Amino acid sequence: MDALISQLQRQFRDYTISLYQQDFLDDQFTELKKLQDDGSPDFVAEVLSLFFEDCVKLISNMARALDQTTGAVDFNTVGASVHQLKGSSSSVGAKRVKALCVSFKDFCEAQNFQGCVRCLQQVDIEYKTLKTKLQDLFNLEKQIIQAGGIVPQVDIN
Amino acid sequence: MTVEQNFVALDQFPAGMRVLAVDDDQTCLKILETLLRRCHYHVTTTNQAQKALELLRENKNKFDLVISDVDMPDMDGFKLLELVGLEMDLPVIMLSAHSDPKYVMKGVTHGACDYLLKPVRIEELKNIWQHVVRSRFDKNRGSNNNNNVGEKRDGSGNEGVGNSDQNNGRANKKRKDQYNEDEDEERDDNDDSSTQKKQRVVWTVELHKKFVAAVNQLGYEKAMPKKILDLMNVEKLTRENVASHLQKFRLYLKRISGVTNQQAIMANSDLHFLQMTSSLNGLDGFHHRPTTVGSGQFHGGTPGMRPFPSNGILGRLNSPSGIGVRNLSSPPAGMFLKNQNDLGKFHHVSSLPLNHSDGGNILQGLPMPLEFDQLQTNNSNNIRNMNNNNKSIAGSSMAFPSFSTQQNSLIRAPNNNLVVLEGHPQASPSGFPGHQINKRVEHWSNAVSSSTLPPPQTSNSIHHQFDVSPLPHSRPDPLEWNNVSSSYSIPFCDSAASTLSPPALDTTNPGAFSRNTDFDSNANVQPGVFYDSLQMRQSGNYGPTTDAAMLSSNPKEGFVVGQQKLQSGGFMVADAGSLDDIVNSTMKQEQSQGELSGGDMGYGGFSSLRTCI
Repeated sequence: MDALISQLQRQFRDYTISLYQQDFLDDQFTELKKLQDDGSPDFVAEVLSLFFEDCVKLISNMARALDQTTGAVDFNTVGASVHQLKGSSSSVGAKRVKALCVSFKDFCEAQNFQGCVRCLQQVDIEYKTLKTKLQDLFNLEKQIIQAGGIVPQVDIN
Repeated sequence: MTVEQNFVALDQFPAGMRVLAVDDDQTCLKILETLLRRCHYHVTTTNQAQKALELLRENKNKFDLVISDVDMPDMDGFKLLELVGLEMDLPVIMLSAHSDPKYVMKGVTHGACDYLLKPVRIEELKNIWQHVVRSRFDKNRGSNNNNNVGEKRDGSGNEGVGNSDQNNGRANKKRKDQYNEDEDEERDDNDDSSTQKKQRVVWTVELHKKFVAAVNQLGYEKAMPKKILDLMNVEKLTRENVASHLQKFRLYLKRISGVTNQQAIMANSDLHFLQMTSSLNGLDGFHHRPTTVGSGQFHGGTPGMRPFPSNGILGRLNSPSGIGVRNLSSPPAGMFLKNQNDLGKFHHVSSLPLNHSDGGNILQGLPMPLEFDQLQTNNSNNIRNMNNNNKSIAGSSMAFPSFSTQQNSLIRAPNNNLVVLEGHPQASPSGFPGHQINKRVEHWSNAVSSSTLPPPQTSNSIHHQFDVSPLPHSRPDPLEWNNVSSSYSIPFCDSAASTLSPPALDTTNPGAFSRNTDFDSNANVQPGVFYDSLQMRQSGNYGPTTDAAMLSSNPKEGFVVGQQKLQSGGFMVADAGSLDDIVNSTMKQEQSQGELSGGDMGYGGFSSLRTCI
């Protein structure tokens, strides 16, 4: 059992580090982890849940706004949604998503339709990727706990 | 929070400080709430500005501080800021992902006492209580002027700048002069320069009428304090008095009606304006210094508080708009209200031991202008106390000077340096209509007796104001959102992978990613769901990037197009957050320095500020 636990813990550590190294996550995520404690043991997962919900909502808003079949594209609406997504992604530490939002915003301001659409697709991919990754991470955590171990604190440097 | 709870919480201030957090983004709101709780504040949240206003209106005493996002769908954050300032006179902190200085400026000019950038860090939130303290303290100081300073230095504070000498007909250094003065910038002087003594000018209706007449005569745009002063020809009124009153007046007009209607407004607004300005004396205190106040420093009298110039200027930065916007006490109390507030506040203070913990007590006692119940009960006590303190009480002005005396003695409590001031009543100023005092007293008592404080409500019922109801409040198993995409295979390379197959799909949890089933739950993510209408089904390049196996072995595959962008963008962005913060704080400093150099109206930095409004 211990061997399993250490194995899982090792995986967890490696996986976490890789997420940071690949810019999926940044310091803000670390901060969120710090806020998680015995009083709110699922805090990070809850927040990330909310974030992913927001992603869905905002991306759908953006897609609607970028829909040319209903008339002229309202870049303001798109920009507003992008701005909000930027805010929430930066708050959870979703680094890549946030980075995308920055370029997305530029495209909105430049009213570059193609650019916007491309960004939208990328954002969609990015958040889903992140979601998957984090699911894996949380699964790992769960497994460690189920195996009787504790989730290691990973020091990101 | 009940009143009793308020008092209890006071002792641990800033713990227990009551914050109302408003943000339409539920993710940010949740994080903010948690961060605030971690700072031991008492947090109420809502994702709608309208709801926030309702909460605030329902009981003005319920909150100490409001934090609001800037971009909200139902109401612009700046608008909310203005309204809160106008109606409730609470410190408001703006929150935004916009780091653009013009937004920061807008926040400042609309009266925000701070502007934070997302993502918010807990360090920043740990300091926000200073805004609450500062605003309360400055309100108090407003009514006490330089009493503190003068008295503090053993009554030697009678020399002062020229205006105070002009006004001060009394040679007795121990007496406090009676004149109430609208004291925005001058209050800062009190804080830091130990010898200035400000007279309080009471802007009665008559006086104000003269003022308005003078302004009209000169022409609104051309009205200068010196000229107005000359025209008014009122003894013992100083240019500074007029100047600060003029500034408030201008702000008031701008706020109320827009520039074009000034003339019409001026004709009718005397009483309204006076009512507004009565409580404005406390308003210049929104010193815009978000981070540098140490924990024990919230009492203003100590020199260590902050250097005058920048802080004063920044205070002014906030104050004009702040003044115009904030703190409309209810009309019946009128001009007197400020004193009443202070009374109430001071009464609380006086009953407490003079130590640092009083900072919190004071705050609670003080805060909202309309704590009539406290005032009511305190009134008689105050008068008694004050009479004890008073050395002399002029005849018809008995009530009035006694209030100020009370203020004198009590204001020091937060400073903890308070020597109980030999209360010198501000005897009825001969230069100002004494009969007005009695009228004001009447107003006050009317107001007190007629107001009823709404019963304190526990705020428990309004926690978790998520109108979008994502998660049930009982903690859902957060890992359940894994289940939705159970079709993703888990990307672990070694044999342990087999143990990681996700449990059976649990669709009963409403809160999790159930919505995400909209997306094709195959490993191939197709943008198609939304993009059909866009006809951009280029799933080739953008598609199957979420193939888990692919990801684990080489996460960069499939991100071909996006990746390159990200690489360049990502790292830049990584710094942007901290850069924003730096820019933000630099901006504030720059603003303060900029303002410093702009004084030409004798207000110090106001002239340049004026142009911002």
